[in-house]
Order: sequence, then structure tokens, then C-alpha cells
Amino acid sequence: MSDEMKSQDSDADSDYDQSDHMDDDDDYCGYYDNDTDDLDIDKPKKSDDPEYFDYELLQIEDVERFLNEEVEVLCSSQKILPSLAKMLLHAHDWKKEYVIECHSKNPSKLLIDSKVIPKVKFQQPISGPSLVCCVCLNQVSREMLHDLSCGHMFCGECWDAYCQVQIQQGVTLGISCMAKDCEVMVPEDFLYSVLSKPDLRDRYSQFSFTEYVKSHPALRFCPGPNCPIIVKAKEAKAKKITCNTCKSCFCFKCGIEYHAPTDCDVIKKWLTKCADDSETANYISANTKDCPKCHVCIEKNGGCNHMQCSKCKYDFCWMCLGDWKAHGSEYYECSRYKENPNIANESVHAQAREALKKYLFYFERWENHAKSLKLEEQTLEKITSRIQEKVMNSTGTWIDWQYLLDAAYLLKKCRYTLQYTYPYAYYMEKCARKQLFEYQQAQLEAEVENLSWKVERAEITDRGDLENQMDIAEKRRLTLLKDFLDY
Amino acid sequence: MAAGLPRRIIKETQRLMQEPVPGIVALPDEGNARYFHVVVAGPSESPYESGTFKLELFLPEEYPMSAPKVRFMTKIYHPNIDKLGRICLDILKDKWSPALQIRTVLLSIQALLSAPNPDDPLANDVAEQWKTNESKAIQTAKQWTKTYATDN
Repeated sequence: MSDEMKSQDSDADSDYDQSDHMDDDDDYCGYYDNDTDDLDIDKPKKSDDPEYFDYELLQIEDVERFLNEEVEVLCSSQKILPSLAKMLLHAHDWKKEYVIECHSKNPSKLLIDSKVIPKVKFQQPISGPSLVCCVCLNQVSREMLHDLSCGHMFCGECWDAYCQVQIQQGVTLGISCMAKDCEVMVPEDFLYSVLSKPDLRDRYSQFSFTEYVKSHPALRFCPGPNCPIIVKAKEAKAKKITCNTCKSCFCFKCGIEYHAPTDCDVIKKWLTKCADDSETANYISANTKDCPKCHVCIEKNGGCNHMQCSKCKYDFCWMCLGDWKAHGSEYYECSRYKENPNIANESVHAQAREALKKYLFYFERWENHAKSLKLEEQTLEKITSRIQEKVMNSTGTWIDWQYLLDAAYLLKKCRYTLQYTYPYAYYMEKCARKQLFEYQQAQLEAEVENLSWKVERAEITDRGDLENQMDIAEKRRLTLLKDFLDY
Repeated sequence: MAAGLPRRIIKETQRLMQEPVPGIVALPDEGNARYFHVVVAGPSESPYESGTFKLELFLPEEYPMSAPKVRFMTKIYHPNIDKLGRICLDILKDKWSPALQIRTVLLSIQALLSAPNPDDPLANDVAEQWKTNESKAIQTAKQWTKTYATDN
């Protein structure tokens, strides 16, 4: 394995992270360390971090080597051929200990269950030196006929043509015997012995590799477009993977965008629902709102929900259009949806309306954070050019201003988690745990907005204040994840 | 017969002519030996009894490595056959085996007419009717057989 392919989560610099003001991410303190990449900020380093996940990003060759090693273990332990070992492992999700155990105890049962051998072998009647292949109906000599373990004999030409058609139709590891209702699988070595076209051999080996990776619980293809990276992790958990090649950020378990604290099934349900319902929601999540005081039309052009009307200078919350001052108190009320307690007594129609209202409430907040995240990208660009300008005017050095970039990255991360708290809350049953969740969500919401407001307006003198705010926001985020992210 | 036609197709065609399946007529097209005009008689004791159903059957280039393509030309009220005459039958799809033949495919289609399978529907509305009100569905199937599958 090449050096840069080694684990991304090495604990080598974990001592470095133990600074008291930051729980996570080396970048805030490893500030003069030129080796650190700004993007590494997303990568949790410590095992007490709820998002910590041990994984490796591998190239195709590395994975081929890894799979061959797995096959080799089975071959040497059970004295079987690699072609058979591959079939057995693939049939049992690469649980090699299980396969070894079954094979030692009762090999014929395992082979039947894995469709390697038939329950009953077929006895082809053989009379004289030549036979008729029952697929092409040609007379062929005995040595031109081939069979799998099931005993159904067909001529080499038919096997070749059959395998070609199957591969062209995208079937590889699932090619079975040509006989009707026979489930015995064609092993790799048999296929190579009958297949005449070299380009189809290549295609078979590519497709079967893809199927091996897909069936292996410790492996996942990076979902990035045309990205060749394969992730390897010890446990198949819903944890965050960041690809170092295409920068995609996804969930190891399901392969879609990372979605903590919501779990894989729920986010799938939510995304399907949004795809169906978003037309209804469109009118409500439009990009402009009127100032609640002077009614001038305002377009949201930054990520912060703390709005200040440029005309009347009124401070208000973009979500609820209420006075911002009211949000500073105990918790940020805006993220909590108040369920109507009388719902059970109302008509079906009213219930439907209530259901839509509830959905729109969560959808609007989800959508709003998604939009804010996009705007945060622009903020990042603005910050970069602002730093450039400040440095040119000798207001501090590049290093002095680095903290602002770090703050912007952290803000993105916090807002991302916040966005994914809404589907979680939507599907949560109304109970004490939901109250706790929504309380913590509100806390995070408030701190994220504070951070957003400060990042957009930071001057060099604000550094202490901003770092303090970063610390608070990240702590809120981690607290929420620790309590609600399933390990 | 057209030049270059596989021995398998020639043999199958010959046997279909010499020993036809009871209730089924399959004739190759004059201009294309891979295209068959098929007529299936409605099985007795089924709602399709006394009807004659026209089908088309085509052997693709890869035949017998891939399944023949078969379609009803006559309108039929059946939960596994849709408005366009397409048939939902496992051996025409994932359960195809090169060891199967035109003969076996046609026999399976005949059997499908005797035993509709509303749990694996192609025509959803028909299957729904079949499950909720079977006697009415059978009535409709008989009516359609009379209207579309009877010559006079």
C-alpha cells in the first residue's frame, strides 16, 4: 500500500488535538503546520468523537489485492481452488469465518446452498461415441461436450455463445447452467475455458470485480462521478466518508450524501417525500420575504438567518419573521414545531391539513439550511478575497486571517448537521426524547446563526470572540450527535 | 429456408410441422424464417374456450441463447397479458433456458390461459378485478373471447 493510501485517520497527531479550547479538528491549533490541508477540517480524529470512523481510501489494485488475500485465506484453510473460494465467499457476503466453519462441518450442504453443486446429479444417457447437444441439436463427439457439477452436457460452442449473451446482458456472477430450472452457477475457471472472445473476458473480469465490491460489506465504491476510489472500513456503519480524490462526502452504509443524525432508512424516506412534495412546498420556500416592519421586499443573500432590513434597520429572524432580540434568550424557538394537541378530535380533512403544515414546517427549515449552505460557499469566496485585500493593505498577515477561513469551514459543517436534524425531528414520535432533541437543535440553531452573523462581519480585532463562538457552536453540534447519533 | 439459419431453428420448425402441438398452429413467415404466425385455441373449461387467439413469435439473433419474443395479436382479457398483447411469463424473461423450445413456450402460454395468475399481474386493472370479483372477471373474459376471438 502506498504511503498516501494509508489510513486517513491515523492517531499520530492526536496529542496535538488535545488543546482545551477545541474538541475536534487539528486545524484550529495546528495553525502554523503547513502540512495540514484546509479540507481536513471535516475529518474527525478522535475516538470519542461521535463522527469518528476508521476507514481507508483505496485504488482498484489495492482492493484486488485485498480480495485475493481473502480468497487465499479460504483456499489454504480448506484446500480448495480460488475459483470455488470466490463463489463461496460471494454467495455468503464475504463472511469468511462463516464459510470456513460451514465448509469444515458439512461441505456438501454448503456447496448445495451456494449453488455450486446440484441436489441431485443429472445422469446424461451416453450411447456411442457421438451425442446430440440439446441446444444446437448438432451431433458432436463426446469430448466436445462440457458439463458443470450438475451433469447437464452441452457443446463448447453453445456454452461460448451462451456466456457471451449473458455477459452482454450484464450478467456475470449470476450465470447459471443452461438446463431448464438448473440453478448451478458457472464458475469463473469454467467460463474462461469456454469463452472465446478476449474483450468479453475483460468485461467479465471488470463486472465481476464490481459485483464482488458491491457484495462485500467492508467495501463501497465512492459515489462521485467516474471516481475510481473504493472505501474500506471494518464495520458497515452509517458514518461519514470524505473522498480525497473527488471530495464527495457520503455515508458508508448507504452511499448517499452524509446525513447524521438521521439514519439511512429515514433519510431515504424523507428525500423521496421531498421529491414528491416539493412542488407543493415551492411557493412557501420562495427566495424572498417582506420585512415584517417596513414591508420592503428582501432577498436573502447570505447564510445567516439573523436579518437586518437595509431600509429600516429592523433586526428579525428570517424563519419566523419575529424580532431577533427575542431569539437571544433561553433557546431559539424557531426550530420547534408545535404540534396541535387537539388533532385526534378533528376531521380527516383538518388532519390532512395539519400533516401538510407539519411537513412544510420541517421542509422549509431543511430547504432553508440547504440554501444557506450554498450561500455559505459564496461567503467563503468573499472571505478569501477580503483576506487578500486586508493582507495587501497590511492589515495583518495571511496567517492572522487564517482563523476566519477556519470559522467559515466550521460554519459549513455545523449548518450541514443542522440541516440533517430536520428529517430526524420530522419522523420522531412526540415524546420526552423529542423535546430534548428539539431543545438541542434549537441551541445549535442559535449558535450557528450567531457564528454566521459573526463570520460575515469579522474584523481582525474580533478573533477571540469568533474563536469562542466557533468553540460553542462545535460543542453544541457534538453534544447533539453524541446523544442522538446511533453508534 | 433462408441461408445461414441455425440447424436448431430448422429442426424445431420441421418438428412443429410434422408433430404439431394439439390446439396450436405455428407457421413460419414466407419471407422470414425467424418470424412465426401462431394460432392458439382457447383451452376447454377456461373463459377462453372456443376462441382462437392469434400471436406473433420472433426468434432474435441470439436465439436460443435469449428467449423468443411473443405477443398476442388478438385482444384478450387476462391478468398476465396487457393491452398491447405483451405476456408476463417467467420463461420468456429471467427463467429462460436455451434448452427450452418454441414448442415449450407455446405450451406454457396455453397453460397460462387455463390458469391465470393475478398475483403476478401485467394488466393491473384486470388483475384487480380478478382478485376482487372473480366471477365478474371470468364473465368479461368470456365476453371478450366472443367479441374478439371468434370468427363469425
